[in-house]
Amino acid sequence: MKRFFLFGILGLFVLMGSSAPAQTAKPSGEPIKIGGSLGLTGLFAEQSKWIKGGYDAWVEEINQKGGLLGRPVKMIIYEDEGNTDKAVTFFERAITVDKVDLVFAGYPATINVAIMPLCEKYGKVYISMGAHMKSFQQGYTYSFGSPPLMGDWADIAMYGILDDLIPKANWPRTAALLTMNNVVGQAMRKALLTVAEKRGIKVAVDEVYNLPLSDATPLVSKARSQRAELFCPLSFFDDGVMITRAAKGMNYNPKLMFHALAPAIPAWMKELGEDGNNAITFHWWNSRLKFPGNDRINEAAKRMFNTPEAPTYFGFGYCWMKSLEMVVQGAGTLDHKKIRDYMRSRSFDFPYGQGIKFDEKGLPAPYAIVTQTTKGHNEIIWPTGQATTKIAYPKPNWTK
Amino acid sequence: MENENQGKPKSSKAAFLILLSAILLLVAFPFFRPPLFFLSLLISIFLFISLTESWNLLGGYTGYISLGHVVFFSIGAYTTAVCMNCFGHSPFLTAILGGAVAGGVAAIVGFPVLRLKGAYFSISSLLLAVIAQLIFLNWEFVGGSVGLWYKLMPVGIEANRVIFYEVMLGLALIITFAVRYVEKSKFGAGLITIREDEEVAKTIGINTAMLKLKAFILGSFFAGVVGGVYGYYLSFIHPDITFNVNTSLLILLMAFFGGCTTWMGPLLGAVVLSLANQLIVTFIGAEISRVLYGLILILVIIFMPNGMIEYLKAGKRVRKVQQGWKHA
Amino acid sequence: MRERDSDRPMDIHYLLESVISGVLLGGIYALLSVGFGLTWGTMQVLNISHAVFAVLGAYLAYWSFVKGGIDPLLSIPAVAFLLFIIGGAAYRLVIRPVTKARDVLMGSMVATFGLTIVVENIMSGFWHPDPRLLKPSYTGTSLFIGEIVISKGPLIGFALAFVAIALLYLFLHRTFTGKAVQATWQNPMGAVLVGINRDRVSLITFALSIASAGVAGVGMGLIYSFYPSVQNDWTLYVFLLTIVGGVGSIIGTALTGLLIGLIIGVSAAFLPFIWVNILLFLLLLIILLFKPEGIFGV
Repeated sequence: MKRFFLFGILGLFVLMGSSAPAQTAKPSGEPIKIGGSLGLTGLFAEQSKWIKGGYDAWVEEINQKGGLLGRPVKMIIYEDEGNTDKAVTFFERAITVDKVDLVFAGYPATINVAIMPLCEKYGKVYISMGAHMKSFQQGYTYSFGSPPLMGDWADIAMYGILDDLIPKANWPRTAALLTMNNVVGQAMRKALLTVAEKRGIKVAVDEVYNLPLSDATPLVSKARSQRAELFCPLSFFDDGVMITRAAKGMNYNPKLMFHALAPAIPAWMKELGEDGNNAITFHWWNSRLKFPGNDRINEAAKRMFNTPEAPTYFGFGYCWMKSLEMVVQGAGTLDHKKIRDYMRSRSFDFPYGQGIKFDEKGLPAPYAIVTQTTKGHNEIIWPTGQATTKIAYPKPNWTK
Repeated sequence: MENENQGKPKSSKAAFLILLSAILLLVAFPFFRPPLFFLSLLISIFLFISLTESWNLLGGYTGYISLGHVVFFSIGAYTTAVCMNCFGHSPFLTAILGGAVAGGVAAIVGFPVLRLKGAYFSISSLLLAVIAQLIFLNWEFVGGSVGLWYKLMPVGIEANRVIFYEVMLGLALIITFAVRYVEKSKFGAGLITIREDEEVAKTIGINTAMLKLKAFILGSFFAGVVGGVYGYYLSFIHPDITFNVNTSLLILLMAFFGGCTTWMGPLLGAVVLSLANQLIVTFIGAEISRVLYGLILILVIIFMPNGMIEYLKAGKRVRKVQQGWKHA
Repeated sequence: MRERDSDRPMDIHYLLESVISGVLLGGIYALLSVGFGLTWGTMQVLNISHAVFAVLGAYLAYWSFVKGGIDPLLSIPAVAFLLFIIGGAAYRLVIRPVTKARDVLMGSMVATFGLTIVVENIMSGFWHPDPRLLKPSYTGTSLFIGEIVISKGPLIGFALAFVAIALLYLFLHRTFTGKAVQATWQNPMGAVLVGINRDRVSLITFALSIASAGVAGVGMGLIYSFYPSVQNDWTLYVFLLTIVGGVGSIIGTALTGLLIGLIIGVSAAFLPFIWVNILLFLLLLIILLFKPEGIFGV
C-alpha cells in the first residue's frame, strides 16, 4: 500500500514535470529599446525590406520566449532612404534622444562605414555586416561583423569555384569586371583582381560605374565585345538586374556570371524570370546551411512572407539580432563595455557558423558561401561540405 | 545667440555688453551639462553660420552667386584627413593648412572663372563642384568611393562634443567678425560697388578683378578651415557627404533669407533656418522640410529679394515715415 | 581607376556600337534641352527646374504604364498636355513675379532653384526614391545589324526626339503664335509695338518648354532608370547642350546633341566610363570660359 502510494506521488510528479510548458514566463518590465535606421525606400529598398523582416521575426520570437534579460524588446526604426547623412542623424538621435539600450544594424556598407565610428564614440556595441575590411582596420572595439559582408573575401569564393569545382582546363580565360563605385564594389573588385592574377585569368574589361546606374548597355557591350568568359557584375540589386537584362538583350553568353549580391534578393527571379537562373553569388549566410537555428529562420520567413525558404537578407537581419541576443544574454547586462568584452572572450555557435571566434578587429575567421540560382532557388555549390547541388558550368545560354 | 539677432544700435556700449554676455553664455553653455543632442545641434548651426558668412564675402557683397562653396569645405576636410593619415597631425593644427589649400585652389580656378558674369559664373561654379566631386570619387589617394577615416580622439563622447562645440563656436565668431570687418572696410565698400554696377566700378578705377578674387579666396579659405575641423568631427568623410548639393542649397537659402547685403543676414538666416529645419525634420519629415525650403526660397526672391533684415529695416523706415505724417 | 587596357585590339564593331549608341542618346538629350534654351533666349529666364519636370513626365508615363497598362509612347500626348498646364501654372506663380526683378536671369535662377527643390521633394515624398524604369516589351531587346547590336530603347527615344524637335521647330517658324514668340525674342520692344501680348507669349513659351521637357522625360525613361534626384544629372546635360549649342537655337541644340553623343560614344570606347562625364563637364567649362555664346550660337 505504501509503495503504491509512493509510486503514485512519483508518477504525479513525473506527469506534472512532463506536461509543464517549455516556455518561460512572459517578459515583463520596461521594454528594452533597440534603435537605428533602415532605408525602406531608396536605392536599397529591396534588401532593406528583407532585413527588417528578419528583425521583426527575431522580435516576435524573443518576446514569445521570455524577452531579452526578461524584458520585452521594442525596435525604433527610422527611415534613412539609404542616405548616409540621414542615417548618421537618426542613429545619433536614437542614441542621444531616444536613449536606446542597444543599436541594431544599418544597411548597407556605405551607411555602416559612418555608423561604426559613431557607435565607437558613444561606446555602443554595433553588430552588423560592417563595411568591408578597411572599416574593421580602424581600431574600433565596439564593432562586430556577425555575420559580416566582406567584399574582400570574394577571393575565397572565387578560389573555391576555380580550385574545387571546375577542372583547370575549363577555367574561363578572360574576365570582365563591372564594379559599382563604392566601398562594397571596390572591395570585391580588388579581391577578384588578385585572384585573376594568381590564377592567370586575363582581365579584359575593368569598368567602374557610379551609382545609380542609368544605363547598363555600354558597360555590357564592352564585356561582350571582348568575349569575356567570366562576367562579374559587382552591383547592388537594380543595377544587377539591368546588367543581366542587357546581357540577354545582346545575346552575350559568358561561361560564368559571378554577381556581388543581386541574386540573393527574392525579387531577382521576379524581375528576370528564367533569365535569373544560373547566376552565381556568394554570401555569409544561406537558408540551406545545416546549422541549428536555421530551421526557425526558414519557418518564420514562410509564415511572414510566404516564401519557400528565408531569403539571404532576411537571414542576415535575423542573425545580427540573434548574435546580439546571445551576447547580451551571455553577458547578462546592458553595459556595452561588458557585452563587448564578453563577445571577445569565447567562441559561439550561430546559425551561420559554429565555433565562431571574433578577433581583435571584430571579425570571425574568413569564410564565404557560394550559391548558384537553380530553378529559382539559391543552391549552395561551395564549400562542398555544405553544397546542395553541383555547379552548372558553363552557364547555359539565354533562352528566348 | 538669440540676443545677437535683435537689431542692435550701431556702436553703443549697451549693445557691446549684450553681445559680450551672449558670447560668454554660449561659451559656458556646455558646462551646464545640457543633453548632447543640443550640443550637436549648435555645432551644426555654427557650421552653417561659418559657411554662409564666408560665402557671403563673394556672393552677397559682389553679387557673384557661387554654387561651389562646398568644394572648398571639402578640400579643407580632405586635407586634414590626409595629413592625419599620413603624418598623424591633429586636424586642429592642420585646419589652417586645409584653409590654405582651399584658398590656393580658389586662386587658381577663380582667376578664369570670375571673369564670367552672373549666371554664367554660377553655372561654372556648379560645374566645378560636380567635376571636383567626380574627381574625388575616383581618386584612390583620398579614398575614392570608399572614403577616408580620421583617428578618433582618445576622449569620451562628452569631452569630444564639448571640444568641437567650443572650436566651432570660435570659428563661427572669428569668421563672422572677419566678414563684418571686411564689410565696414574699404575692401568691402569696393565689393559692394561691384554688386551695384560693375561697369561703373571699373570706370572709377576699382580693380574689380582683384577685389573679386580676394573675396573669393578669403571666403574659400574660411570654408576650408571649417571643413578641416568639421571633417574631424564626423570622423569619416566621403565625397557624397562633403560635396552634398543639399549643403549648397542651404547656404544659398540662408544667405538670401537673412539678407546678403549685410553680415547680420547670413547669421540670422543660418540660425533661424537651422532651428526650423531641426523642428520640421523631427516632427514632420525630411521631404516636407525641403519642400518648405524651396517655397521659402521662391517667396524670398519674389517678395524679399534683399532678405529678412533689409525687409525689416525697410518696414521700420516706412513706419517711421508714417509716424512722421501722423505728427505733421 | 583603370590601370590595365585590354590587349585585344579595339573591336571596330564595338566602336561603331558605342558611337551609334552615343548619337542616339545625344538626340534625346537634345529634346531635353531645347525647351530650356527657348525660355532662356526669349524671356531671359534661367529655368533650373526644366529637368525636374522631365522627371515628372517620366513618372506620369510610368504610372500610366504600370497601373493602367498604357504604353508610354501612347501616353505622350497626355503627358505633354498635363505638363503644359503645369508649366503655365508655374509661369503665373513663380516666373512672372520674378521677371519684374532687376536681374531677371539671376532672380529666375534662384527662384527656379527653389521650384526644383519643391517639385523634386514632392515627387520623392509621394513616390519614393526607388529607381524606376519604363519597361515596355520592346525596350529590352536589340536590333542586330550584322555583328553590331543596337538597343531598341535608344532607337525609339531618338525617333521620338526627332519628331518632337521637328514639331517644335515647325511651331516656331510656321505658326502665327510661334512667329510671335520669335518676334518677342528677337526684338522685345518691337514686338510690343506691333501689338503682341508679351505676357501671353511668355506664358505659351514657358508652358511649351515644360511640355517638351515632359515628353523628353518619357524618352529618357525608356532608356535610363530615373528617380527624383536624377534631375541633378539631367540638368547638367541640359546646361551642356544649351550653352555649347548656343542659347535659344533649336538647330544649334540639336546639332550639339549629336556632337555630344559622338563625343560620348568615342570616348566611352577608349576611356573608363567614369572619365567620360568629367570630360564632358570640363568641355562645358572651357566653352563657358572662352566662347560663352556656344559653338553654333547667335
